[in-house]
Amino acid sequence: MPCMNAKQRRFSCRWVLILACATMLLTGSCLVSTASAANILKMGLLQEPKTLNVWRASDRWSRKVVGLMYQPLYVRDPETLKLIPWLAAEPPLFDEKTLCYTVKIRPAKWSDGTELTSEDVAFTARFINEFKVPRYRSKWNFVKKIETPDKRTVKFYLKEPKAIFVSRSLTTPIVQKKEWTKLAEEARKTKKPLKRLLNEKIKNPVSSGPFVLKEWRQGGFLYLQKNKHFFGTGKKIQGRLLGPYIDGVIFKIYGTSDASILSLKKGSIDMFWWGIQPGYIEDLRANPDIELFQNEKSALYYMGFNLRRAPFNDANLRRAIATLVDEDFIIKRILQGYGIRMYSIIPPGNAFWYCPDVPRYGEGLDREARIKKAFGILRDAGYTWDVPPVDGSGKVVNGEGIKLPDGKPMEKFTILTPPADYDPHRAMCGMMMQEWLRMLGIPAYSKPMAFGALLQQVKVRHDFDSFVLGYGNLSLDPDYLRNFFISTNDKKRGWNMSGYNNPHFDKIANESASAMNRDKRRNLIWEMQKIIIGDVPYIPLYDPKLIEAVRKGRFTGWVQMLGGVGNIWSFCQLKPM
Amino acid sequence: MELRRYIVRRMIQVIIIFFLILTVLFLLFRLAPGDPVSMMVDPDMTQEDAEILIVQLGLDQPIGVQYLIYLKNFFTGHFGFSFHYGEPVVDIIWNRLPNTILLFTTSIILSALVGVFLGKIASWHKGKKTDSLMTIGALVTHTLFLPWLALILIWIFAYKFGWFPINGMISEEVWLDPEAGFIAKALDVMYHMVLPLFTLFLIHFGAYLLIMRSSMLETLKEDYILTARAKGLTEKVIRDHHAAPNAALPVVTSVGLSLAFSINGGALTETVFTWPGIGRELVSSVSQNDYPLALACFLMIAGVVLVSNLVVDVLYAYLDPRIRY
Amino acid sequence: MTESDSSNRMTAKEKYPWITSFLEGWSIFRQNLLGKIGLVLLIIFALMAICSYIPPWISPMYNPMTGVDPEITSCTPPSLRHWLGTDFMGRDILSQLLAGARIAFMVGISAAVMSIVLGVSIGMTAGYMGKFVDTLLMRLADMIMVMPTLLVVLLLSAVFGQLNIWTIVLIIALFRWPGVSRIIRGQTLSLKQRPFIEAAKVAGASHFRIIFMHIMPNVLPLAFLFMTFRVTSAIITEAALAFLGFGDPGTVSWGMMLQWVWKTGHMFQAPYWLLPPGICISLITLSFYMLGRAMDEVLDPRLRKEDQTD
Repeated sequence: MPCMNAKQRRFSCRWVLILACATMLLTGSCLVSTASAANILKMGLLQEPKTLNVWRASDRWSRKVVGLMYQPLYVRDPETLKLIPWLAAEPPLFDEKTLCYTVKIRPAKWSDGTELTSEDVAFTARFINEFKVPRYRSKWNFVKKIETPDKRTVKFYLKEPKAIFVSRSLTTPIVQKKEWTKLAEEARKTKKPLKRLLNEKIKNPVSSGPFVLKEWRQGGFLYLQKNKHFFGTGKKIQGRLLGPYIDGVIFKIYGTSDASILSLKKGSIDMFWWGIQPGYIEDLRANPDIELFQNEKSALYYMGFNLRRAPFNDANLRRAIATLVDEDFIIKRILQGYGIRMYSIIPPGNAFWYCPDVPRYGEGLDREARIKKAFGILRDAGYTWDVPPVDGSGKVVNGEGIKLPDGKPMEKFTILTPPADYDPHRAMCGMMMQEWLRMLGIPAYSKPMAFGALLQQVKVRHDFDSFVLGYGNLSLDPDYLRNFFISTNDKKRGWNMSGYNNPHFDKIANESASAMNRDKRRNLIWEMQKIIIGDVPYIPLYDPKLIEAVRKGRFTGWVQMLGGVGNIWSFCQLKPM
Repeated sequence: MELRRYIVRRMIQVIIIFFLILTVLFLLFRLAPGDPVSMMVDPDMTQEDAEILIVQLGLDQPIGVQYLIYLKNFFTGHFGFSFHYGEPVVDIIWNRLPNTILLFTTSIILSALVGVFLGKIASWHKGKKTDSLMTIGALVTHTLFLPWLALILIWIFAYKFGWFPINGMISEEVWLDPEAGFIAKALDVMYHMVLPLFTLFLIHFGAYLLIMRSSMLETLKEDYILTARAKGLTEKVIRDHHAAPNAALPVVTSVGLSLAFSINGGALTETVFTWPGIGRELVSSVSQNDYPLALACFLMIAGVVLVSNLVVDVLYAYLDPRIRY
Repeated sequence: MTESDSSNRMTAKEKYPWITSFLEGWSIFRQNLLGKIGLVLLIIFALMAICSYIPPWISPMYNPMTGVDPEITSCTPPSLRHWLGTDFMGRDILSQLLAGARIAFMVGISAAVMSIVLGVSIGMTAGYMGKFVDTLLMRLADMIMVMPTLLVVLLLSAVFGQLNIWTIVLIIALFRWPGVSRIIRGQTLSLKQRPFIEAAKVAGASHFRIIFMHIMPNVLPLAFLFMTFRVTSAIITEAALAFLGFGDPGTVSWGMMLQWVWKTGHMFQAPYWLLPPGICISLITLSFYMLGRAMDEVLDPRLRKEDQTD
C-alpha cells in the first residue's frame, strides 16, 4: 500500500509542478500582446462601485458611475457654473403668487427606447417624498403638489418659499416611472419599504444619460456602453455639440494610487479618476504621454472646535488660534502649493456667494507677529501665563502655563485628525497646529484617529475638543452654511458639530433659506459669513486644487470644470483621435 | 462504532462552538459605539435622513429582537443586507468565495507538495550543505513579512520587469472579447494569479519543508525502515516508498492546524493584490463599518476553519488507530 | 582557579540545580549556529530600540511621529541629515525605524508574557483538575486556537472604532494562549503521576501550592521556549494589523510605516522607505524563530541525543 501511495504522490507532484511552470510561461507570453479596443475609454478607479441603485449609491465610486447614467433636469455650465437646462428644455418659470415652478422638458428617450415624459419627473419627486429617500428627501419635502398638464410640462407647487429648489431639488437624477413603479409597489407591501428599495439590486438600470450599463463583472471591471437613445446626441447645448463620440467606458479597479498611476503610464488606462498626490506630479509632468489638468474644487478643509465646553466656548481664544494658524504655510508647505487659501466657509471659487470682506485673521503676518497678536487678544481677554509668550522687552519666547480668565490652568486638549494614510494633509495640519499653539503655551496635542471613530466622536457623541475635517465636495449652493451652524442642527448626528448657537445667526439663516431673490439671498449669505468668521467656530484652512492625469494620444476634448475633468461634459464631448 | 460516536460528538461540539462565536460577535457588534450611518459624511445627508436610515436598517430595535432576527435569517440561509452594497450578504459572499477558494487551495496544495518534496531531500542529506541551505532558506522565506513580500514582488515583477499584472483577477480585454473561449479566460485568471500565488507559496512552503524534514528523521528510525534496510532495498526505494508516505502524515495535519495562519495570510494577500475574495471583502467591510457583511465573512471563514479541523481530526482518528478519544 | 573556588561553585551548583542545567543548556546553545545568529540579530534590534531615544533628543524634527523637517515636505532619498531619507511629510525614516524597534519589542514581549502566563495557568489548571474543568478549558482552547487572530483583531477594531496599542497587545495575548496551554496540560498530566506530587498531596499541600510550587517550576522551561514563538506571532499580527490600517494611529510601528508607504503611493518611488521596515519585521521574526529552534534543541533531550549519535 505505501508503495502505491508514494508512486501516485510522486507522479502527481511532478505533474503539478510541470503544469504550473508551463501555464505560467504560456499565459505570460500570450497575454502581453492583446490589442485594446479602439474607441473605449478606460478609467481607473481606486475602489469598486458598490451599487448601481441610484438611491442607494452613497460611496463616491458608485456615484461617479451612476452619474453617467441617470440625468437631472439642470446641470452646471462648465465655464459660468450657472444652472442650464439639461433634461429640461428651458430655465424654470417661477410664479411668486402660487409658489409654483414650471419646467418644460426636452424630447428625450430612456435607454429602453420609451419616451421620457413629465410623468417620469413627477414620479421621481413623488417617489422621493413617499419613501423618504435619504439625501433627496430634504430637497423635496417642501413640495406640496406636482402637476403634469402635458407630456412636456411639470408644475411644482411649494409649501413655502425655498431658495434651494432650483439648485438642489431640480438637480435630482430622474428615474423611469415604468421601472420603479413595479419596485415601489412591491416595496409598499413590505414592512420597511425604504429598506426594500435601497436594497434593490438594479441589474439593468434604465437610464437617460450618455452611457448605459453593458456588463459589470464584480471584482473585475464595469463596462458602460454608449446609449443610442441619449437625448443630447447631435444636439448643441450651451454651444457644445454633444456626442458621445466614444463607444463606451470601462472602469477598472486598482486598490492604490501607485497601481493606477503605473497603469496610466503603461497605457492600460486613459485616465485615473482621482486627484493626483503632489508626490507624483513631477514625474508625470515629465512624461510626454501624460497630460495633467489642474482645477479647483468646491471643498472646505477646516479646524472645528467644541463650543459646548471650556475653553473653546470663548470666542477670544478661537480668534487667537485663528490668528496663530498660518494658512499660507499650510498651502505652501503641506499642500506644496496645490491649494487655495480659504478666508470664509464658502470657497472663493464660488464667486457669487463668497463674501470677500470677512475678517482675515493674521493675514500677511509672520510667525512672531502672529504670536504677538494672538497674545494680545488673549491678554486683553483676561488670560494669564506663568511665562508669557512675549516677554517684557517684547521678545517672543516659549509661553508656559496658560491660565483661563477665571484663573484655572488650561487643561490639555486634543486636535483630532484623520490618520496620516487617510489624508496626510489633515494629519499634518493637526501636527503643525499643535506646534503653533504650544508656542503660545496652549497645551494642544494632535491625535490621529481612524476616520470612522473620529466621526463617531465628533458627530454622534460630541465628545471632543477640536478636530480637523473637511468636505471634499461641497455643493455650489451655499445652503450648507446654514446647515453647519444653525442651532437646530446641534444634535446627535446633526451637522452643527461645533455646537454653535447664535439666535441672530439662526434668524438670518432661516431668512436666507426662503429668500427667492438671488441678490437678496446673497446679502444674507454674506452677512452669515461675516458672523461666522467673526465667531470662528470653524477656522477655514484650505481648498485643495485637484490635479488629474489623463493619457494623451487616444482621446481628446476633456472639458475642464470646477471639480475636475471627469464631468458629464467631458464624457459627452470626448473624441477618439 | 466508536469512531462514529466520536464523529457525532465532535460535530455537535463544532456546531455549539459556531453558534457561540456567532452570538459573541453579534453582541459585540451591536453593542459597538460606531454605526455605518455616521460614516456617511456628505452634507446632503441630514440628521433626519440618518435617523430614517437607522430605523430602516433595524438598528433601533432592542438587541434581543435583532439577535432573533439575525438567527432567523441565518437559518433561512440569509445573512441580511450589506449596509453599503445594498445587496444580500449571501450574494456578495457567493460571488467572492470561489475566488478565494481558487487562490487559497492552489497555494496550499502547491506549497505542501513542494514542501514535502524538498523536506524529503533535506532530511536525506541531513547535516550536509543541501540540508542546511534548505533549512535556512525555509526559515527565511517562512518568516518574511507577507504584505511586504507581496509589495516587493509587485515591485520587481510587475513594476520593474512588467511581466505580470499589478493586481485584480481578470483583464477586460480578454473577458470582453467575444472570441475568447473558456481556455483564454482561464489562462487570464491564472496569469493574474501568478504573483499572489507565488507570495503565498513562498511564505508557506518553508513550514511544510521543516515539518516534513523532522518527521522524516523520526520515521527513518522506525523499525520497519530498519527492516527494509535489512532486506537490502536501495536507499532511494526506502526513502520514497517506505519513509516518505508515512512521514507526510504530520504535514497533512499541520495543513489543518495552520489553517488560521494561512487564512490571515490569504486576507493580506488578497488585499495587496486587490484579489476579489472573502478576505479582502472582510477587510474593506470592516473599514466601512459594514457589520452584516463583516460578520458574515468572518462566520464564513470561522465555519470553514472549524469544519476543516473537524475533518482533519476525523481523518487522523481514522488513519491512526492508536488515537481514540 | 583555586580548589576552594571550585568547591564553592560545586556547592552553588548543587544548591541551585537550575544553574547547572542553565550552564549545560548554554553550552549546547553556543554550538548552535542558528541560535547564535538569532541572538546577535536580537541584540542589534535591542540596541536599535534603545537608540530610538537619541534622535528626538538631538532635534525635535527627529521625533518619529510629529517631527517634521522644516525644509522638507515630501519624500526624499537618504542624505546626511536623514540617513534613510524622509517620508511623505518630511519625517525622518531612521527615527521611525528605531522607534518601530521599540514598539516591536514592547508588543512582542508583553503580548508573549501575557499569553504565556495565561496559557501556563490554564494548562496547569486543566491538567491538574482534569474531568469537567479540563474538557471545558480544552474545548475553549480548541475554539480559540483555530481562529485567525489577525481577522479577529480586525473585527474587534471595527467594533471599538479604534484600538490603542495596549488593547491590541491584550487581544493578541487573549487569542494566543491555547497552543501553550495544550502543551503545558500534557506536561502537567504526566507530572501528576510522579511520586513527588503524590508525596506533596499526602503531606497535605493545597492544590494551589502543588500547582505553583511543584508543577510550575517543571513546566516553566517549556513555557519559556514557547514564549519566543509567541513573540513572533504577536509582532507579526500587530504589523499586519497596522499595515491594513487598523493599528493605533498614534504609534509608529514598522507595520504602520509600511502602510504609509503603501497607502500614500510611494511604493514604486521610494525603495529607501519601502525596504527598511519590511526587512526589520522579517528579520526580527526570523531571529526570534531561530532562537526558539535553538532553545528547542537545548530543551528537548531526545533531539540532542540524536544529534550526538549521528
